[in-house]
Amino acid sequence: MIRLTVNGVEHTLDVEGDTPLLWVVRDVLGLKGSKFGCGAGLCGACTMHLNGQPIRTCIMPLSAVAGQNITTIEGLSPANATLQQLTPVQQAWLALNVPQCGYCQSGQIMAATALLASNPNPSDADIDNAMSGNICRCGTYPRIRSAIHNAARLMNASADHPQAARNSELFSEVTLLQATNTEELSHG
Amino acid sequence: MDKSLRTRSNTGLSRRSFLKASALSSGGLLLSVALPGCTAIGMKNQGMTDGGEWQSNAWLRIDTDNRITFILDRVEMGQGTYTGLVTLLAEELEVDPAQVQVEFAGVGSVYDNPIYKLQITGGSTSIASSFKRIRMAGASAREMLKQAAAQVWALENTSSLHCNNGQVIHRSGKTLSYGELASIAATFAVPEDSALKSPDEYRYIGKYNQRLDALQKVTGQAVYGVDVELPGMLYAVISRAPAFGGTVKTVDSSAAKAASGVVDVFPLQAAGRSGVAVVARSYWQARKAQQLLQIEWQTPEVAPGSDAIFAQYARDLDNEDGEQVRDDGDFSAAAEQAASTLSAEYQLPYLAHATLEPQNCVVKADADGMEVWAPTQSASMARVAAAKHSRYSLNDIVIHTTWIGGGFGRRILQDYVAECAVIADRLQQPVKLIWSREEDTAHDWYRPASLHRLQATIGADGKTSGWQHRIAHPKVFEWFVGDAAPAQYPFMPKFMFPMLAGAGKLGEGILAPKDSSGYEGANDVPYALDNIDVRFIHSEPGVPVGYWRAVGFSHNGFVTESFIDELAHQQKQDPLTFRLELLARHPRAQSLLRRVAQLADWGRPLPGCHQGVAIHKSFNTWVAQIADVQVEGKTFSVKRVVCAVDCGQAVNPDMIRAQMEGGIIFALTAALYGNITLKDGAVQQSNFHDYALLRMPEAPQIVVDIADNQYEPTGVGEPGVPPLAPAVANALFAATGQRLRRLPLQLA
Repeated sequence: MIRLTVNGVEHTLDVEGDTPLLWVVRDVLGLKGSKFGCGAGLCGACTMHLNGQPIRTCIMPLSAVAGQNITTIEGLSPANATLQQLTPVQQAWLALNVPQCGYCQSGQIMAATALLASNPNPSDADIDNAMSGNICRCGTYPRIRSAIHNAARLMNASADHPQAARNSELFSEVTLLQATNTEELSHG
Repeated sequence: MDKSLRTRSNTGLSRRSFLKASALSSGGLLLSVALPGCTAIGMKNQGMTDGGEWQSNAWLRIDTDNRITFILDRVEMGQGTYTGLVTLLAEELEVDPAQVQVEFAGVGSVYDNPIYKLQITGGSTSIASSFKRIRMAGASAREMLKQAAAQVWALENTSSLHCNNGQVIHRSGKTLSYGELASIAATFAVPEDSALKSPDEYRYIGKYNQRLDALQKVTGQAVYGVDVELPGMLYAVISRAPAFGGTVKTVDSSAAKAASGVVDVFPLQAAGRSGVAVVARSYWQARKAQQLLQIEWQTPEVAPGSDAIFAQYARDLDNEDGEQVRDDGDFSAAAEQAASTLSAEYQLPYLAHATLEPQNCVVKADADGMEVWAPTQSASMARVAAAKHSRYSLNDIVIHTTWIGGGFGRRILQDYVAECAVIADRLQQPVKLIWSREEDTAHDWYRPASLHRLQATIGADGKTSGWQHRIAHPKVFEWFVGDAAPAQYPFMPKFMFPMLAGAGKLGEGILAPKDSSGYEGANDVPYALDNIDVRFIHSEPGVPVGYWRAVGFSHNGFVTESFIDELAHQQKQDPLTFRLELLARHPRAQSLLRRVAQLADWGRPLPGCHQGVAIHKSFNTWVAQIADVQVEGKTFSVKRVVCAVDCGQAVNPDMIRAQMEGGIIFALTAALYGNITLKDGAVQQSNFHDYALLRMPEAPQIVVDIADNQYEPTGVGEPGVPPLAPAVANALFAATGQRLRRLPLQLA
């Protein structure tokens, strides 16, 4: 029996300890948002947080994370979240239409969320460093970069004005950022 | 997707034969597609929801509670079709696109892509082929709802009515919602003269930029094929013969069978591959047991390596005249009269699709029939594959399509469906098959490798007088026709499938259009030269090949746009001006080139960079790109790509931008890294360490400009790919004087 806390819920699991965390979360706990891409820690589609740090769960044996706190994409915001209940990273992703096929985006969002938690104002180089382990085959990188900058602005704005956080103005701010950014994208 | 599947009719059905209205017992309106003569085909359960009223040929449903449901007959794999087709419907129906609920279509001939006569998503055709049909469906429903309102309000006609935001509105200001009117509207025949809106009336087309599937994808809620779960489901993995055509010689599966959770281990043949399947209670148990298999493979007699394949191509180019696919003027005469000639050989590798979601499939087979859940680009071919590889007939098989984690042409092939059908048929239990990344890389249907020889003749006046392009390349169609031909004839019994596949092959150019996958983008070289000779030399190395984003244009775009650049430099002309002069017959291309030059500030590269330009038309869409590239020693980085696209009427401009960005990064990945190599008939690459994909730090700044016009919409998903590699290679020539004629690009 291995104990594990996932998105705040404690589980006691009767699973072979060498099973990668990804398959435990997906197939035993039924949380399918984290994806299988390479099985070798090379693509980041399986990224979850271990005590807040991003990890590659396709190569992380369950036994190695026993008793720890895991957060998955499902743990970022409530099920069927309204726009306002999404995290700033998710809001920024949505406002810039980042996903294409979307398969890598859970991992991208988990990586970006961890980055912004430790670095509220990342430079392009910081973003490159933090995100280089996450592959997007559809090529959404330019939008991911812009979305991370926008999310940082959103988070800083809500830190300056705590009462404004999570209200609808926040989302319209994202929409404004989108308009500005699309302009940048299309006219260099 | 290449033109081989295209037929002459691309608009499909006339309005009269097109739509049929019926009432739902719950009181709503159902618009379905009426196809006389096809109603006898049993498609049990397809698209059916509550009460069994959701007919197999349904397209649009309006319920009394104002719910509007649209059946999406194309798959969404990132290209934005989901948003695009809903936008077309919403425009004419006068509803907010975000209010439309979408369901994925099952198999039904009414969902066939009218361009291919197959239910297929590919060839950058979804918007182009649906632009009229879906707007017509929306306009018909709108007019019927207005008629219903006229009846309620006892009006003589509908001239005092208009629709907005899901309501019919009378001049006086009174309103009725679509839900209130749906059951009355369902009593009317579909009008034949519902006018489509004119472009100046568009509310959403050309303006709507909200990606409708984004919310599901930023919260992890979208259910992809690999996420499908059924009660009691088992997990399967397969060890496949490494060499193409290899078979299982001996297998010792005793240790695997004894491993924890293992249910079954058995040899299997599917989709032309031989292997051993391991089925267990969990995925990880199946993977662990797979490691315990002791398999001796029988290597096929012909097991070529990459060098042998390119040597075969070279031999065939030496010895064969091939098929002439473009013949303007008299190239031989131009060659005899030439003051000088320029010759070059270009070589392109096999490429894997590397969809981030590996191939997978879920199949449930029991006494009632077979159900298949698959991330497939063709539900109808998936059904053929399942039937061919099981005891079930087409009518017993239901296909469910899912969100797709990248397609790029890979999922036009149905091998994962075939394999899972074999396993589920044997076990009579629900099974999920998942390929590992290594299996996905080693058993793809690759973008074909090709070898190209070009010769240009230069006259006494110093101008280009002739252009010859000879291409050695296999025929993709022959690898694809096995599932495609039977899918076009769903009424044929299963024992006829091999005959249909055979007839499909023989019928290329007769029953089916010609397979142009080798020479598309080469035979239609756009430059105004008097003597043009393009030849296709069919050379088949025996490596499975398929449709890869932009197909033939992906290699011929590189070759033609590099060689035209060679000619410009040979004649000491500016590469942009040189192209502009030779494109006098293509004003849209000229204007696009001028636009991209203006945006990229052609002639004034970014600091430390050199520029290269390319323009290519594919899927009826022109795309021009200018790359700013910085060279440092033997390495280089692409700093910026400016892209101008003319795809006719833009439906969702931000979706188009996204496809250009994605196409550029997809193509840059191939230009920098893409190289599938073979040794002893087996692929040598396995995972992202040796088949690298572009990562964030290497992604250039991308600027996209969309031509503003109202021509018929043309393709968007693929045309961003072809110009990128030549634009980068041309920039590298500008920077170093090295002409790189092989992909991936490597400076000496």
